[in-house]
Amino acid sequence: MHKSYRNTWMLIGAAMLLMTSCKKDFLDRKPKGQLTYDTYFQTEDHALWATNAIYQNFRSWEMCAFPYIGITDIISDDADKGSTENDGLPLLQIDNFTFDATNEMFSLSWKGTYHTIFRANQAIENIPNIDMDEALRARLVGEAKFLRAYCYFRLVQWYGDVPIITSLLSDDEYFTQTRRPVAEVYDLIEKDLLDAAAALPLKSGYATADLGRATQGAAKGILAKLYMLKKEYDKAETQCLDIINSGEYSLLPKYADNFAEASENGAESIFEIGAVAVQAAVAGPGATPFNMIQGVRGVPNLGWGFNRPSDDLVSEFEAGDPRRQATIIYVGEVLPDGATIVQDNPEILNERYNQKAWVPAHAGLQDNGPGNIRILRYADILLLAAEALNEDGKAADALVYLNMVRARARGSNNFILPEVTTTDQAELRTAIRHERRVELAMEQQRWFDLLRWGIAGERMRAVGKDFVDGKHELLPLPQAEIDLSANNLKQNPNY
Amino acid sequence: MKHSYLLIFLAFSLSQLFSEKLLAQHRVKGIVTDHTTGQTIIGTNILEKGTSNGTISDLDGSYELTVASSEAVLEFSFTGFASQEIPIAGRATVDVVMSEAITLLNQIVVVGYGTQRKSDLTGAVGSVKTKDIERIPTANIEQALQGKIAGVYVAPSSGVPGAGAVIRIRGTGTLNNANPLFVIDGMITYDASFVNPQDVASVEVLKDASAAAIYGSRGSNGVIIITTKSGVKRDHAVISLTSYYGTQQVTKQISMANATEFATLYNELRGQSYFPDPAALGEGTNWQNEIFRSAPIGNVQLSANGGTEMFSYNFSANYFAQDGIIKNSNFERTTLRLNLEYKLNSWLTLGNNISYANVGTQNSPDVITSAYRMPPVFAPRDSTGDFTDPTFFGLAIANPAADLYYKSNNHGKGNRLFGNIYAQVNFLKDFSFRSNFGFDRKNSQGKYFEPKFEVSASQRNVQDRLSVSYSLGNDWIWEQTLNYNKDLGRHHISVLAGYTAEERASEYFGASRENFPGTADELLYLSAGNDTTQQNYGGAVDEALVSYLFRLNYTLMDRYLLTVSFRRDLSSRFKEANRDGNFPSFSVGWNLGQENFVQNMGLFDRLKLRFSYGILGNQASASAYPSSGVVTSGLYGVFGPNEALNQGAILTSLANPNLKWETSRQTDAGLEIGFFKNRLELETDWYNRYTYDIIAAVPIPDYVGSQSDPVVNTAAVRNRGWDFTANWRQSGKFVWNIGATVSPVKNEVIKLAQGRNEIFAAFIQGEPASHTEVGQPIGSFYGYKVAGIFQNEDELATLPKIGGEQVGDVRYADLNGDGVVDGDDRTNLGSPIPDLIYSFTAGFEWKGIDFAADFLGSQGNMVFNAKKTFRFSVYNWEKSFTKAWTEENPSDTEPRITNGGHNYRVSDRFLEDGSFFRLRSISIGYSLPIAMLEKAKISKLRVFAIGNNLWTKQDYSGYSPEFPNGGNPFEVGFDNGGYPVAKSWQAGIEVTF
Repeated sequence: MHKSYRNTWMLIGAAMLLMTSCKKDFLDRKPKGQLTYDTYFQTEDHALWATNAIYQNFRSWEMCAFPYIGITDIISDDADKGSTENDGLPLLQIDNFTFDATNEMFSLSWKGTYHTIFRANQAIENIPNIDMDEALRARLVGEAKFLRAYCYFRLVQWYGDVPIITSLLSDDEYFTQTRRPVAEVYDLIEKDLLDAAAALPLKSGYATADLGRATQGAAKGILAKLYMLKKEYDKAETQCLDIINSGEYSLLPKYADNFAEASENGAESIFEIGAVAVQAAVAGPGATPFNMIQGVRGVPNLGWGFNRPSDDLVSEFEAGDPRRQATIIYVGEVLPDGATIVQDNPEILNERYNQKAWVPAHAGLQDNGPGNIRILRYADILLLAAEALNEDGKAADALVYLNMVRARARGSNNFILPEVTTTDQAELRTAIRHERRVELAMEQQRWFDLLRWGIAGERMRAVGKDFVDGKHELLPLPQAEIDLSANNLKQNPNY
Repeated sequence: MKHSYLLIFLAFSLSQLFSEKLLAQHRVKGIVTDHTTGQTIIGTNILEKGTSNGTISDLDGSYELTVASSEAVLEFSFTGFASQEIPIAGRATVDVVMSEAITLLNQIVVVGYGTQRKSDLTGAVGSVKTKDIERIPTANIEQALQGKIAGVYVAPSSGVPGAGAVIRIRGTGTLNNANPLFVIDGMITYDASFVNPQDVASVEVLKDASAAAIYGSRGSNGVIIITTKSGVKRDHAVISLTSYYGTQQVTKQISMANATEFATLYNELRGQSYFPDPAALGEGTNWQNEIFRSAPIGNVQLSANGGTEMFSYNFSANYFAQDGIIKNSNFERTTLRLNLEYKLNSWLTLGNNISYANVGTQNSPDVITSAYRMPPVFAPRDSTGDFTDPTFFGLAIANPAADLYYKSNNHGKGNRLFGNIYAQVNFLKDFSFRSNFGFDRKNSQGKYFEPKFEVSASQRNVQDRLSVSYSLGNDWIWEQTLNYNKDLGRHHISVLAGYTAEERASEYFGASRENFPGTADELLYLSAGNDTTQQNYGGAVDEALVSYLFRLNYTLMDRYLLTVSFRRDLSSRFKEANRDGNFPSFSVGWNLGQENFVQNMGLFDRLKLRFSYGILGNQASASAYPSSGVVTSGLYGVFGPNEALNQGAILTSLANPNLKWETSRQTDAGLEIGFFKNRLELETDWYNRYTYDIIAAVPIPDYVGSQSDPVVNTAAVRNRGWDFTANWRQSGKFVWNIGATVSPVKNEVIKLAQGRNEIFAAFIQGEPASHTEVGQPIGSFYGYKVAGIFQNEDELATLPKIGGEQVGDVRYADLNGDGVVDGDDRTNLGSPIPDLIYSFTAGFEWKGIDFAADFLGSQGNMVFNAKKTFRFSVYNWEKSFTKAWTEENPSDTEPRITNGGHNYRVSDRFLEDGSFFRLRSISIGYSLPIAMLEKAKISKLRVFAIGNNLWTKQDYSGYSPEFPNGGNPFEVGFDNGGYPVAKSWQAGIEVTF
């Protein structure tokens, strides 16, 4: 045999051996610059980061912009679509009740809310198994449960029966889910909130740097709303009074301050989603589109001008109620930054804007919104307490809380907003409902209140909207979702 | 004989090999004639075997050569004819008759990891040679393949200068990533767009399982093997210069409403006279004219080719430049290629094929959509010369002219070094071992500067910004193959065994800053910007594959053929449990033409039957890590009085750890026939390709909570069809050829995974426009059928409707007859997959004139004109809307003018016939007679003119029905508006020394 052949054989053999021996390492490839799920949820940092990520999705377009504003304020009698005549047609359909199941606002809000639930489920499933500080672990799971419950609370009010997802689904479960009865959804929300209330600290129990995380007060607040929805007034009363008696919250002296940046997470705030505009030309990682879509249209605010306070809302305010000015921006008004006067924009009919979503000039472009999204404030709880007490026949007690809210609004001007004194349940009910509307106007509460009171149809028709009883109390499930579910999801009645 | 070689392209060391070493000992002469025509052949290469001593036959076909001895052997070669080796055997005169080589049975075809005689092939392999490719000047080899091989569908991926093509072999819409695999001189890639067509010697398309199985896991969409030119042994270097220059335009414009029509429609829409006098507005602005232009295209190629017994080389340098038909887009590329081979001794050969490409681009912003939408009532600039602010009822479309002006400082640069180095050892007489290292190193950078500007509230940039991005790619493959080749008279055996490992890796980063002190080019570097505005990102992707391969070819008496192959692949894309894929195939062939009973018939010059069956795989999917759930970070929570960003990170989308190989079982039966001395060749194949566990991301319900759809093994699809090829070639004084390919294919979904009955995709305004179910083609269009228009209140009251319609609105068909129109009345509306693709070629050569034309067409595919379905109050309308229903002019087909809503539901109203027939290319050339050139030492001088896409017959209203959407088979055939394909013509010159 030629010598070189022998060398060749040896070379071939060596090469093969070399390459075979390191095959496994060679083939195990991991995503670069990214953690993977199978090695996540192992440290305290992971637990914290995972929980923070749930909050983040509340700033997404789906959860705070068109879809959210559309099916909270614009759909109600508080607001019209706003902006220019032809801008945002899906929102116009919602405003006018001409929508059907293909309106993208439904699929977006549905999708965004389940995206958040997807994150919360991971935290709830995995954090308990992490070897870490026990108190922090309990708190983080509590935060996640609170956020999950709040998501389902939105869904159940919008859509009624919904699929209950509490874990990451495996691929054989993607298409088999069905809508669960409202009662089951309520049970999940109640259990999550009770767990959260037990695990979460009071607002004052948080370090300053953690201000804005879910608190015991926030959990009890949403729980109170759930009980109100279920007409379990005594339970609602208990939750509200717990919050009131906790000494954690107080009404700000000046109503309008509630929506100023300086009062973010202030004394009256029970829960809000933090947002910040970092220096960037494009939307920063802490920004929200919430302010942009409702901002004053045109230069310099660069808002889009959606969610216009309606004539009907304007007329709801009592004469001289300063809350009207604090809620609505009019043409010619000097804005709270003291500099800007709103110019007339001839393309917008009946020009008005939601002042509660207004933010002064900030870094970057319009989508770099810095304003926290207020979810629950103390005045809301006081009015819920009043409502629960009145429904339970404790009118005198109810008046205390109702008048607290009116007194604050009144300020030092004794000529406006007289005390309510009636103890007639029906009259007081009307007064409380009126008060809720003006106190919480344009704060995304009205539609849920109308549904809860069962007067959505009556009110909608009163403002000329084509509300159909037995249909429009629930929104349609997104058509795309029904198509994708292999018909395991059934549509709401009459859609 | 003395030659002096001025090889300006080659290193000095190479030229030393061409030293002169002749000693005259024997003189031989003769005449070379054509077997078919009896004519003498001019320009035949005649070489003394084993030397670089040679000559060329002259005008009369005669030659004269002095050789080393009277026992020398002469080699005669001429393009298109079979080369011959003839021993002089002491003679003084050696006359030679040359035969055409085109259809010769011993034509060599490149197959995976080797070559085979065409007559020995048992698989379906389509082959294109350099001559067919060179005629069509395109930037890349992918586009040059269009219409060349039966069953291969090539569509330009876009008209962006320098863009590649989308290629589907045997049936579109089969798989997630249905692009075939490219093997360029042994190096594997999915992107062959950098290959200069003029460097290509041949392209082989492996269509069936038998042929492609050796590429196993990635062969299921077919394999395209590109072989670049290598040096040819001859007595002198052939130096060629080719250059062309031409111009391109958009093939057609979309017919849009003019200013008068727009104003009329707008008044109708708003029910008031917003434009008091539409007629006074006239034509207005044709926005397509504002973005399109006539754009030059040009190419210069220099090459040198030659070699000796020990050493051969092919060198080329190429410069290609193309301006886009959209303003401010262009592409230029310089390519250098050096292919070398050294025969060091009797048993060792070393070689390399290396190409280097340098690319520069300017990228225009996307103005096609805004030009489509911009109302014609606005001019690009106002009376003061500023860009017009087209705000209109509070809304504005971006002024395309302004976008082109402000957003075109967007440049890309890139380098790519691609090639392979190999060593081959021949030993023990029948064995050879080859070690091949292939590499593909890419770097690219992008630089985009957007100045501060303001046109309207929605078209402005408040802060000037520079963004840069860099990426570095490093792919390599190392193949070890062992060959055994044994000829035992009646039996011929060849065996291949091999082991390969490959890695593909890339890394990228990008950064930006704002607030630059000026806009001069020399200031546009990041450091000049404001550092408080800086942002950056970076990452990497990698994957690996290890494979074992084996192939046995056995031929008995040149008649009975057998091929068995097997490949085992292990891919990093799958978790360990699903990592292995085994891909066997076998095929048989019968050269009936060799049998006496056939030969006795005297009818067939060639007759062959082939059959193959094999299993192939596909690992293509959206990412390199489909099995790993990736934790997304940067999902900040904002807490505390300082509003600090608190890191947030979590899984936002589901992965699929159970993902496994996509597999296809393919059966192919083929028949090859040659008649009339092989002048007429027919080839036909029937195939059945059953692909299952198709890897694709399909929409899942949103309640699952995953932000993007996980990649799953989703469906089984069958593509069944025929490939027919017929060619007639006539030689003689008047050489001509005609040919045709026809490929009918039927695509049918056989099964859906995950227990699903149907897959919906391509959601448009909340409703799916694509529907896949068993028994139908994959990704069929889906929606309502238009039954007519509600003409009056009476129809509105009595005929089935959805609810909320008005007179003049579309009346959708109540297909199930239940009296109402609802989601249940939606149905399959057609398929984006053609029933048939076909092509024709024709050409002739006569007295130095050459002519060729290629046609190509597709039949039976539908297009969804998705861009037409998006309505926003201030968009312009396509011309068809001018026939909209009005009380005065009721229409049966076009509804009243509305802004979105009911009339824009997904329906057959937006579906158009995508069939087309196109003159892909036409070329005419003239070669000067050699007699005129001899003194200038020029062996060939040809002038030519070429036209591309000059004529198209299409019903489709858009720019072109050829606009393949990405890779997702569930979302094919949607025209959302893309960079249109250009038509062009060029004139050029080709000189060979």
